[in-house]
Amino acid sequence: MVNVTKEQKGNVLVVRLTGSIEETVNFEQLLGPPPPEMEVNCKEVPRINSVGVKGWIKYFQGCQSKGTKLRFVECSTAIVEQINLISNFTCGGIVESIFVPFSCTSCKSELVGLFKTSDLKKLELKLPDLKCSKCGNKAVFDDIPEEFFGFLMR
Amino acid sequence: MSKSLLLISSHPEDQAFAVEVALTAGLSLKQVKDPKEGVQIIAQEEGLIVMVDVSSETEYQIFENAVQEGVGLFSDKINPNMIHFLSSEDLEKVQYLVQSPLFGHYVVRNFSDPKESGQHYGRIMKATLAERSFGLSHLLKPGSKVQVIKLNTSSQKHNAVEAIKAYLLAAKFQSRMATVIANAVDELLMNAMFDAPVDDLGKPTLSTTHRATVLTLEGKSAVEMHVGYDGKYVGISAVDFFGSLDKVKLLSHISKIYVKEEYKIRTSLAGAGIGLATVFRSGGSFFFVSESRLQTEVIVFFKRTDNFREFKDQFRFISTQFYF
Repeated sequence: MVNVTKEQKGNVLVVRLTGSIEETVNFEQLLGPPPPEMEVNCKEVPRINSVGVKGWIKYFQGCQSKGTKLRFVECSTAIVEQINLISNFTCGGIVESIFVPFSCTSCKSELVGLFKTSDLKKLELKLPDLKCSKCGNKAVFDDIPEEFFGFLMR
Repeated sequence: MSKSLLLISSHPEDQAFAVEVALTAGLSLKQVKDPKEGVQIIAQEEGLIVMVDVSSETEYQIFENAVQEGVGLFSDKINPNMIHFLSSEDLEKVQYLVQSPLFGHYVVRNFSDPKESGQHYGRIMKATLAERSFGLSHLLKPGSKVQVIKLNTSSQKHNAVEAIKAYLLAAKFQSRMATVIANAVDELLMNAMFDAPVDDLGKPTLSTTHRATVLTLEGKSAVEMHVGYDGKYVGISAVDFFGSLDKVKLLSHISKIYVKEEYKIRTSLAGAGIGLATVFRSGGSFFFVSESRLQTEVIVFFKRTDNFREFKDQFRFISTQFYF
């Protein structure tokens, strides 16, 4: 179940979501009325189910209709999957950075690398290999590029 | 009399797949390339299982027309439970199959290993030959153990989902794979708890009930989760005792994606209507078995792979078996 920490930085409400987003989520209660500007950190969201998606869209569409400037940062792979599957998942907001999955070619460990979406566009999706933090060998991007980065091509 | 599998296809890979399917299901295999020739065989023989290449709408139309002219679309010679469509396309691109009166089973032709995929699918086909196809144990490799978990209240769903995730991590699934599968189980259980219940007239009783509502799952409202792993495939099922699954609604939901189209929230319903489609697109295969007013079992399968790319791109199918 998701927890939220909130911090007001000038005009911007910075929120950090932690935990799975499920049917019990009530964003209106957790985040309050739409502020002028909001940064949503999704680093610690491992999972979101379909009713969680519905609750998410309902709340952020409300923000969009009130003119809130939305930015989504450090999006977990679970959130990136939803951004790709649902065309209006970000409700007019900007996806600033995402975690990209990598897999070690040697020890098969899972890794993630944080990338700004602007940098990913410049790289034309040709990602550099990473060094595995466990065995030091090469780790390569581990998903289907056209699907994982689909939202960047819209 | 032994039954046969009739393959109507000119793809060599379909043949390699069908050979394994037939072997596993205990069927003899016949193959023709021309749908009209295939329908002639259907007209002459009893109880044939048909696997047909319908990769394009034209190919499907030729098959449907041949069926209509040869035996009739609604004759006792042809039954959707016995028809297996083969296609290279994703489900959302084959609406002509989704809307087909012949839809029973749909196999995506991405057999990275036709032998292994054929064995897995052969177990599904074998199950469909039985009088009733319920039960997970015979859909996994022989000897696989299946655990049954009975949920007493809907509030136990969260713990059940987390337990599945822990089980998969212990079985050496990548954590991202375990999360995807856990999410699939979440969707299956939620559907069994909130979408399956109907009244005596078949009208859904909980369609507007908020999904966080705590329900007691007793008697007719009982929900079971079955889980088994055969070393390659994990199979997890959600079982309810209403037998209310509607094939048209099911196929409409599972084939609907919002990659280009906007997702519009329906406030009249508490569910989201996107869960099963998400599961299928994340690599899961489905076997839906439903006996009207008695029981529905929705089974999802995922193969454990070395990396997530292969996991997402794994061999997939949607199988349905309805009894009235």
